[in-house]
Amino acid sequence: MILHTIVPEFLVFQTNEAEYKKQRTVQYNGVTLLVQQTETNEYEIVRVLSSDPQHYLTYEPGIKLHATSLQFMV
Amino acid sequence: MEERDISQEETKPSPAENIVQLGQTNVPQLSSDSTIHCLTIVGQIEGHIQLPPQNKTTKYEHIIPQIVAIEQNPNIEGLLVVLNTVGGDVEAGLAIAEMLASMSKPTVSIVLGGGHSIGVPIAVSCDYSFIAETATMTIHPIRLTGLVIGVPQTFEYLDKMQERVVNFVVKHSNISEEKFKELMFSKGNLTRDIGTNVVGTDAVKYGLIDEVGGLSQAMRKLRELIDHSHQQGAMLQ
Repeated sequence: MILHTIVPEFLVFQTNEAEYKKQRTVQYNGVTLLVQQTETNEYEIVRVLSSDPQHYLTYEPGIKLHATSLQFMV
Repeated sequence: MEERDISQEETKPSPAENIVQLGQTNVPQLSSDSTIHCLTIVGQIEGHIQLPPQNKTTKYEHIIPQIVAIEQNPNIEGLLVVLNTVGGDVEAGLAIAEMLASMSKPTVSIVLGGGHSIGVPIAVSCDYSFIAETATMTIHPIRLTGLVIGVPQTFEYLDKMQERVVNFVVKHSNISEEKFKELMFSKGNLTRDIGTNVVGTDAVKYGLIDEVGGLSQAMRKLRELIDHSHQQGAMLQ
């Protein structure tokens, strides 16, 4: 199947709603992080959302955090 | 038996009591507050539609509060903006660019890899801009990837939106409107599209970006701007 369209790919093949829910924005020790839930029910850092360069030395993508220590935003 | 045991324990001082202080060696700590903060504009600039999680996006609802916090925090002296973006939503990109342009603290931007499309106004919005020698910036006309209704209305709408981008870039960089539009509408540079892909030194030659350089040059410039703003502050007092 070849689709010739100006409609963006993400509108043609829409992502499952559940995919969006896997990633969440959280606060951990005052640092905003984008985390993804793992199969073992932990949260893995996907991105550090901070402008302070020091935070990037402490928090790296891949670090696993326990759900109880996280403050969920929205 | 039991009673005697207890009394014996009481007379015997526990080892912990003899220790006046449980100490730890002092490790010299770096000051936790950085005076220069860094904002990374990476991936796609996300607008009103949330992109699927596999896309790397810069969300303005994350960036704008950070800019506000940096502006307000008295410990932060300057801001370094690092760009490696493919572009994205025009309104969101212009919002970030306007926020950066209206900051009172010194700002320096570096384009690494790419600062394409709506990344151009963000790169020029800072007080001083750098581009890595290998980095590129694509300048092209505004497009709508979506459902288009009427041709004349669409044209007017896009034309006005494009004027906003052109005006912003011309106002915040040394490029002339004519040159910017010439690059924007030039043919034969991009595959099946109009526009120009400007590489490092060319971006400086056209006046779009101030200087070719990397991290050390950008940090030096930022320090220089901070010192300058301190001097101005002292003179005002």
